[in-house]
Amino acid sequence: MLGEILNTYYLQIGSFILINIMLAISVYVPLSSGQLSLGSAGFMGVGAYTSALLTIHFDLPIVIGIIAGALAASILGVIVGIPSLRLSGVYLAIATLGLGEVIRVIFVNWDTLTKGSVGLTGIPQLGREILEFARGLGFEPAMIGIKNNQFVFLSIFIVLLTLVIVILWFVVRQQNSRVGRALSSINQDDKAAESMGINITYYKVISFTQGAFFAGLAGALFAHVIGYISPADFSYHRAVEVLIFTVFGGSEVIIGSVFGAFFLTLMPEVLRFVSEFRYIIYGILLIVLMAVRPQGILDANLLKKIKIKRSKGGVR
Amino acid sequence: MVLEVKNITKNFGGISALKDVSFSINKGEIFGLIGPNGAGKTTMFNMITNIYEPTSGEIIFHGENITGIKPYKITEKGICRTYQNIRLFSQMSTLHNVMVGGHSQSQSGVFSSVFRTKAQRTEEQQLIKKSEELLELVGLLEHKDTIAENLAYGQQRRLEIARALASNPSLLLLDEPAAGMNEKETDSLYDLIKTVQSRGITVLIIEHDMPLVMKLCDRITVLNFGEKLAEGTPEEIQNNEAVIEAYLGKEEDEVDA
Repeated sequence: MLGEILNTYYLQIGSFILINIMLAISVYVPLSSGQLSLGSAGFMGVGAYTSALLTIHFDLPIVIGIIAGALAASILGVIVGIPSLRLSGVYLAIATLGLGEVIRVIFVNWDTLTKGSVGLTGIPQLGREILEFARGLGFEPAMIGIKNNQFVFLSIFIVLLTLVIVILWFVVRQQNSRVGRALSSINQDDKAAESMGINITYYKVISFTQGAFFAGLAGALFAHVIGYISPADFSYHRAVEVLIFTVFGGSEVIIGSVFGAFFLTLMPEVLRFVSEFRYIIYGILLIVLMAVRPQGILDANLLKKIKIKRSKGGVR
Repeated sequence: MVLEVKNITKNFGGISALKDVSFSINKGEIFGLIGPNGAGKTTMFNMITNIYEPTSGEIIFHGENITGIKPYKITEKGICRTYQNIRLFSQMSTLHNVMVGGHSQSQSGVFSSVFRTKAQRTEEQQLIKKSEELLELVGLLEHKDTIAENLAYGQQRRLEIARALASNPSLLLLDEPAAGMNEKETDSLYDLIKTVQSRGITVLIIEHDMPLVMKLCDRITVLNFGEKLAEGTPEEIQNNEAVIEAYLGKEEDEVDA
């Protein structure tokens, strides 16, 4: 019965949505301390290539590869973050965009390691590894009435969903704490924040690095979900796409990033029936939104209203 | 001696905003810094909190040279300020503004914040309690959940004072706290600053409201065109010929506060 419900196509879209949510959060976290970073595609690429190369050439377990990928991206985040902190607003955006392009060009030209623009194939796939692992424990997908490939997609989806929940938990908890208040105060007035005793350099590096970590993690997972990566996956277009998730959904609240990534990943799929018009519709939607609601679909005020309505409903 | 300002000079390009200014503040005093617009008063605050580094001269706080150290470290050492043009965290609640002020008095990091360790929860509770006390002191406790930008102007000024007090300063710098306030608000501001003093906090205040300054301050330094013109008790200042000529004499014609 479960075998009839599980549609691998839906599961795959679900997995892409979850990866995109991680990427949107990687933009949201630095933005919550006032740093507009367009480096997410670059950090994603570093995470993806690091993990792919380690698992292909050294036969490391995927889990180790993914952790190494995320850490490699965050180390780069610290290295780039410290000098870039002198920059703010649009200048930081341009610098991080430049960083992303530099990383992409390195992937293209370092033929011996990255196979250039052809990209890396044969990356161990997360779903298959989980399947083998489960089989090692004496479990067969047929035992719960699903096919092998259904199990593969389902296990990927569950792993990604768990990670997204953990990341959201982490970010929300951090936000409602001394650290979160410090980040938010820097966002609103960095000079005043500093004279309240906040070491703004430290907190900016922290949030920038966390963004790099989440992007690197998403990139590494992407590599092991798709099984094939090339420099084109981490181009400037990706950086802009990820930024749009956050801005469209609402950059003031974390749920905005989640919503933006969900909606904008799903929409091109839903709009498949209008085929060639779908990207036109996508574009028009963005223009209308930015004109009507520049703060994004969701913001603090709207969430408050929804909450009040819900609590009123509860009384009744 | 809480604060000694020694021969501070600050040049912006070719212009001297401050020329060889010295004064010192005793513990528990309310010390006034007055002078016409552009006399260098706020620049002096920016020297003390090291928003700008002085061209020459020294700032000594509790016997320690603090010239040129990072602004956030100066706050940790016990100097906190308010701003002439209110600089609250406008999208945060009143309570959270004060809690940010308590940043230097707490230490939870990322790890303890995310895992809500016992130490973190205790610290957070204490911070909330202390912040609420300060809000009560400035009369804003009932507005603790209001977003700062929705507060009335006078309330925002009082919130800035509460936020600064949250860092537990031994020296509080107030930059025109009475600006834009009506008489009643100014009266309650007077009471508030007196209460702050009674808690053992030394106050350095820039203010244009002369009746308030004269009533409030123990001693006053007058700046004019970046130079120290006079120093003394309110009576001495009121009777100082140079001051009357440069500043108080003109004040009567000025409509501007």
